[in-house]
Amino acid sequence: MVVYSFYIFDRHTECIYAKTWLPPTSSSESHAPGGPTTTLRPASADDAKLIFGTVFSLRNMVRKLGGDDDAFVSYRTAHYKLHFYETASSLRLVMLTDTATLSMRNVLHQIYINLWVEYVVKNPLSPVEHKGGVGVRNELFELGLDQFIGGLM
Amino acid sequence: MFVTVFALIIINKAGGLIYNRTFHEGGLHKISTNDYLVLAGTFHGVHAITARLNPLKPAATLNRTSTSSSTTTTAATGAGGGAPFARPDPPSGLEVLETENFRMQCFTTLTGIKFLLFTDTTQANVDLTTRRVYDLYTDYVMKNPFYQLEMPVRCDMFDRKLGSYIREINNR
Amino acid sequence: MAHLGPGKAASSKEQAGLRYPSNGKTIYHRPLNRTKTAELSQSSFAYLFSEMVTYAQRRVTGIQELEKRLNLQGHPIGLKLLDLLLTREPPRSQTRPLTIIALLHFIKINLWTHLFGRQADRLEKSSDPDAPDEYMIVDNEPLVNAYISVPREMSQLNCAAFVAGIIEGVCDGAMFPARVTAHSVGGKEEGEMWPGKTVFLVKFQPEVLEREALIGKG
Repeated sequence: MVVYSFYIFDRHTECIYAKTWLPPTSSSESHAPGGPTTTLRPASADDAKLIFGTVFSLRNMVRKLGGDDDAFVSYRTAHYKLHFYETASSLRLVMLTDTATLSMRNVLHQIYINLWVEYVVKNPLSPVEHKGGVGVRNELFELGLDQFIGGLM
Repeated sequence: MFVTVFALIIINKAGGLIYNRTFHEGGLHKISTNDYLVLAGTFHGVHAITARLNPLKPAATLNRTSTSSSTTTTAATGAGGGAPFARPDPPSGLEVLETENFRMQCFTTLTGIKFLLFTDTTQANVDLTTRRVYDLYTDYVMKNPFYQLEMPVRCDMFDRKLGSYIREINNR
Repeated sequence: MAHLGPGKAASSKEQAGLRYPSNGKTIYHRPLNRTKTAELSQSSFAYLFSEMVTYAQRRVTGIQELEKRLNLQGHPIGLKLLDLLLTREPPRSQTRPLTIIALLHFIKINLWTHLFGRQADRLEKSSDPDAPDEYMIVDNEPLVNAYISVPREMSQLNCAAFVAGIIEGVCDGAMFPARVTAHSVGGKEEGEMWPGKTVFLVKFQPEVLEREALIGKG
């Protein structure tokens, strides 16, 4: 299982956290001929917007077709798989993995309960609204997330 | 465990809805034809974006962009990698969408027509069903002299054959 | 043409503008029986026929005219097939059909087997006493209509008019002048078993019946 990237969007549709995991081989060998066949595309700020747009459209489409209680879980293309989890407070967690990965709904839920609530919500120094990602990028959250994802891979 | 097919939507290469049909009542919410048209257009756009969001870029295209500035390295990478001359994969967008209540399989033909098959959440050979639906489309729509390309599909024969094929699946 | 030997000069002159195989063998040199069992792709036929219908549809004013055009496309094929199929018969039965029944049997069995790989489904004589010159050949699912859905506003149309033209060509070639038309009857009788069921109505000219009566007396 490979995790490519992870995003958090707040209820104002703003991307308040983004992180990508580079495959260990790509950084050093990307220019060598005959190296790895694929490298990670440099993530841009546009990506977050595009991902949110996609997820938002699909979520609305799913609700229209499957009813208001239905929830969009994931989609897969030939190259990657996108997992989506929305909390009751309209916090949206998105994770991109390789195609072979099974449902990551539980993983996203775990991140929400064990990391977000513990290290961001319960952090007295973090503001209520995370405008521009304020208060999310604290040491404990980053460390916890890295360890958690590292344990999965 | 067999799948139940809820509905089929066909979208032409410009994002227009050309066919929609419900096979199983209660699988999906009923929405108006106008909403279906909007949905087809939205999905067409989303599909294009999902193809672009690919976090993995083939090395071939990266090499080409990085070497285009200097001609000396082009030969080296071309001879060493061999990949720059390979034909790139066609862009691939969303293929499977999963939700709590249904599953949607999207099959894109080489000519850009999209077949969206809505089924229940079990994963059993939906690929095969989509292929077969495509077969029926090529037979009873494309070989029909009265069908105009890119226009809504109104072919009795297609309706009939598709109906009996899906009924066979849903009654298993 | 330049690569041909000097011996072929005369023939290549006649063939000017056409491709002529360098070994001099055209389809006219091949034995007629050799392609007897060869089969063609149904898909390629379907696409070709689809284009034929589209072509016939250009600048037509009505369904009748469209059917007439399809009929005309089939007519020469019928004329030629009569010759070919008779040639392929064993020598003792290599005569053209002389009675209406023999002709219709020839169409139902030989022509249908050659064109569609099976016999026609039924042969009927009109039960109407006012129309003793009408015969019917029934095909439950005509091959030409296999992939065709006729739009609702043209429900009168049956593209098997092309096959009707072939039948008409065979009848004309055998000196049984007739008018042949194709009619859809699926869905009316026998339920929905054969939705594409087609009846080819063969209406012979009065002189044919006159001759038939004379032969019957003699």
